[in-house]
Amino acid sequence: MTDDPIAQHLTRIAAQDRAAFRALYAAASAKLMGVLLRILGDRAEAEDALQEVFTRVWLRAGRFDATRGQGMTWLVALARNHAIDRLRARPPSAEGEDEMEAVADTTPRAETQLMAKGEARRVAECFDRLEPDRAAAVRGAYLQGLSYADLAVRHAVPLNTMRTWLRRGLLNLRECLEQ
Amino acid sequence: MSETPIPASQEDDALAAELALGVLDGTERAAAEARLRNDPALMARVIAWQERLAPLNDAFPEAPVPADLLNRIEGRLFPAPAPRRTFWMALSGLGMASVTALAVAAFFFLSDPPAQVEAVLVAENGALSYDAVFDGLRLTVTRAAGEPAPEGQVHELWIIAPGADPVSLGLLAEAPLVVAYPTPPAGWVLAVTVEPAGGAPGGKPTGPVILKTEITL
Repeated sequence: MTDDPIAQHLTRIAAQDRAAFRALYAAASAKLMGVLLRILGDRAEAEDALQEVFTRVWLRAGRFDATRGQGMTWLVALARNHAIDRLRARPPSAEGEDEMEAVADTTPRAETQLMAKGEARRVAECFDRLEPDRAAAVRGAYLQGLSYADLAVRHAVPLNTMRTWLRRGLLNLRECLEQ
Repeated sequence: MSETPIPASQEDDALAAELALGVLDGTERAAAEARLRNDPALMARVIAWQERLAPLNDAFPEAPVPADLLNRIEGRLFPAPAPRRTFWMALSGLGMASVTALAVAAFFFLSDPPAQVEAVLVAENGALSYDAVFDGLRLTVTRAAGEPAPEGQVHELWIIAPGADPVSLGLLAEAPLVVAYPTPPAGWVLAVTVEPAGGAPGGKPTGPVILKTEITL
């Protein structure tokens, strides 16, 4: 925990420390803005979402448990969940096929960026062992907030097939990471 | 599909992975999240999956944030005391004209610091009520009468600072809601709305206000 400054900020925020809140904002806002922008694809909405995310950080910091995970992981999960809430609340017609194609092109690059660090390299290796379609589905869900229904459309498979693919892919990924 | 089914022993872990990824939709998502709130073992699995997938976070590039955003967030969380007229204007923004239920009581227990403040959110006919207790560090909200929201809906608790937008404090289900929150100043308002299962999308109340009470010290 001592080498996780974000976790330390969160612990202090849970005790209503406003200076820690500012320090956390300085340390994490650009990263969380990146998460929200990538998933929501709209700067104005991402800015609105970032305000909501930091509001929740203040209110929920007490739920963060430094013994179970990293501070930044918790923050990104909070931001992703909020962005996905917004995506799922959008009317279905708002996401056209063109938009889906456009974002699909950017995903493989994400994986090459992963190669840099040790832990990240391990995940990249395990992704490489998955069938390419399944690896792409996991990445699409994580980085773009795609639902099973979105993924089924993108990969042109029935919804239940996508569900089986993704679940099996995730369990294979876990096995690989635990080896 | 010719593949063998996923063993039952791995079902929970697959569900946890789906929750960490956020791939579920609609009622399925609401049901899974409702279960998550009362299932610490499932929550532990979700956290483990978040850590497993965290290396993917490197693929989210940092993005510039507007310079005044921190001020806006702090203004929302820590508003300066405002005149009472502003507080009533904030209330009308929440649609208070259509409110049919009224809070009848808010108590203050005189004691040395940390001061404990209790507020009661109760419907006009008494059919539904929640007790809210601020102990200085936490707010604990317990249902004292009535039933939780019907299937597919949820009661959501909001706090409204004078002149500010409502901020969600969480969803009121079977178990008491406990959130880290300081004792608010007098004049702030607690309100309960009916929202779709999973809570108000977008962080703003969408459903009718069924209960409200003003904090008095």
